[in-house]
Amino acid sequence: MGVLTAICLVGLYAYYRQLRYGLIVTSMRDYVSWGIYISNFVFFVAISLVGSLITAVFRLAGVKWGSPLTRIAEIIAVAAIIFASLIIIVDMGSPERFYNLFIYGRIQSPIIWDVIVITTYFFISILLLYYPLLPDIQILLRFKESTGKRLYRFYSFIGSFWKGTAEQFELSEKAINILCIAIIPVAFTIHTVTSWLFATTYRPGWDSTNFGAYFIAGAFLVGAGAVVVAMYIFRRAYHLEKYITENHFEKMGRILVLLSLLYLYFNMNEFLTPFFKMKESEAAYLNGLFSGNFAPLFWFAILTGMIVPTLILLFKKGRKPLPVFIAGVMVVVGAWFKRYLIVTPTLLHPFLPMHDVPASYRHYFPSWEEWAITLGSLAGAMLIITVLARIFPIIPIQETITEQHETAE
Amino acid sequence: MKPQNKLFTGLLTLVFLLPAYNGFSQAHPKGDLGIAVNYFISNNKIPSLMVKVKTKVDGRFQNVAGISLKLFLDKDTVGKFIAKVVTNDAGEATAYIPSSLKSQWGNALKHTFVATFDGNSKYEAAKGDVTVAKAKILIDAGNDKTVTATVLEMKDTSWVPVKGVDVVLAIKRMDADLTINDKPTFTTDSTGKASGDFKRDTIPGDAKGNITLVAKVLDNDQYGNLSIEKAVPWGAKFTMLNTFDKRTLFATRNKAPIWIQLIAYSIMFTVWGILIYLVFNVFKIKKLGEDKIS
Repeated sequence: MGVLTAICLVGLYAYYRQLRYGLIVTSMRDYVSWGIYISNFVFFVAISLVGSLITAVFRLAGVKWGSPLTRIAEIIAVAAIIFASLIIIVDMGSPERFYNLFIYGRIQSPIIWDVIVITTYFFISILLLYYPLLPDIQILLRFKESTGKRLYRFYSFIGSFWKGTAEQFELSEKAINILCIAIIPVAFTIHTVTSWLFATTYRPGWDSTNFGAYFIAGAFLVGAGAVVVAMYIFRRAYHLEKYITENHFEKMGRILVLLSLLYLYFNMNEFLTPFFKMKESEAAYLNGLFSGNFAPLFWFAILTGMIVPTLILLFKKGRKPLPVFIAGVMVVVGAWFKRYLIVTPTLLHPFLPMHDVPASYRHYFPSWEEWAITLGSLAGAMLIITVLARIFPIIPIQETITEQHETAE
Repeated sequence: MKPQNKLFTGLLTLVFLLPAYNGFSQAHPKGDLGIAVNYFISNNKIPSLMVKVKTKVDGRFQNVAGISLKLFLDKDTVGKFIAKVVTNDAGEATAYIPSSLKSQWGNALKHTFVATFDGNSKYEAAKGDVTVAKAKILIDAGNDKTVTATVLEMKDTSWVPVKGVDVVLAIKRMDADLTINDKPTFTTDSTGKASGDFKRDTIPGDAKGNITLVAKVLDNDQYGNLSIEKAVPWGAKFTMLNTFDKRTLFATRNKAPIWIQLIAYSIMFTVWGILIYLVFNVFKIKKLGEDKIS
């Protein structure tokens, strides 16, 4: 936590510098006006979709083994969506511009749709975290001595009214079911709208009808990757081998393979057809990705984010906790760079280049302030996950007990 | 002499010699300017002059800006002074013939326009002139959509037709003019007339379909540049579709299309209605818990 806080503080200092001197401290110029911040935003939005996958899709599909993972997924979703919102404000430069979005924002603009959908998704994620917590809070309140005064008061405030009556369970179950149904279209919308921020802009690489599905496939992959990483860390840190079993890794490994292949398929769609046509206006952008300046990063993202994890996880030995964790880390790292590649190379190759454009506009490498803020936001998300994992039971106690009872029967 | 004194003396000598360097260097030769004087008369009204100044640099002509020129009618004397002009970035300067020269203008059938440059630190003095005969151009548009231009020259006291002058018959557009058909120029006959058929029916005009025809004599050695315009209702009627302040996807928020507002707000109200219901549901659960305690 100390390390994460330190990284956050450096990020805050960099943000202070950005506020004081303006966006000039970044390397973003007229060409690359969406740099590492927007890449990071897309990454956070993508990762937040895991809440809907693990909690809602599994629940509605009757996948019982996923119960111990729901809290992890929801915590990741809440942390990611918080920082997705914050990073947008950072990208705007002056934070008061966010207020202008509400005052002057146009309902016709995908940016406003994004603001609305992110806010909605945040509230649904909070509710989806909160409702299943209620029975667990009641259990936690039984351990007053070991809890600590402040935390006990907090638990009392948020859930002392839960008595576990049949009526309360009925209302709670109904609410969770409604949330699970509601979160799926909202989750799809949040990432589709994010993809439309790009697809509705006429630029090489973004002018695609495939973008919504492509983004969602990528989001489910990185979300699942983040869950397996978190599963492994929490399992080791809190000795949860009894609850997060090898079977969970085995099954999540299979899901990761499926999602990797799905995302690979969308990537082929996204790159193979433009590569085949090689339109003159897109040639510089595509060659830059396949064999130019961005090639090492591009192939790294494809190999690390999809192909190598798939190869690891295809084998039974590869679906043991440690290999799954490694594959998960690769997926998450690859996914971050993939988002960077979605944003930056395109912006460096406009259809209508500026006349006598300054040399600094033709290249983009984030400034230290951008790196610090980005790393600070990643550390901040991890900090929220850590704090929430310390406050709340990382395994849903009530749900897991119920599931075990049902399995025993 | 001590070494440090030698060094000091040497440096001092160098300091004194440096300002003298200019004395040895030769003065840079001044450039030559070419001055072209062009005569214009539009719609047979006030004549004007356009002067273009160029110089040759590395074998290429370049426009020269900031050259101050004096323009005269017939002779470069005080009484014949037209105007003093300075060239712009394109090396051009324009001036109208002032009304003070009206009597001199009427006294002769031919006039010479003289442009003089007195020279400056960079360029030698230069002079340019052009001689033109008094001429005028007329335009006529027939009902059968033929355009006829007539070129007339002042001889003695009357206007006489001129044969063999190339005339451009065109439609005035925003930038370059568009010829009335595929032929670039038409030549006047013995009656001084040059005619062409108008073949641009679909060209957009104003709201009533009005377009402006123009007949031009360009860079003629004898008459300079003559032009005349005439409005005719031969164009396609063009109604400007102005979407300003209309409900469009690119309008302001208050002018968002109704359909997008209906869809967006109904989705928002539905989803947020559910969320608000679920928040009230928490209070319901809370109440149930409190009832149980009591």
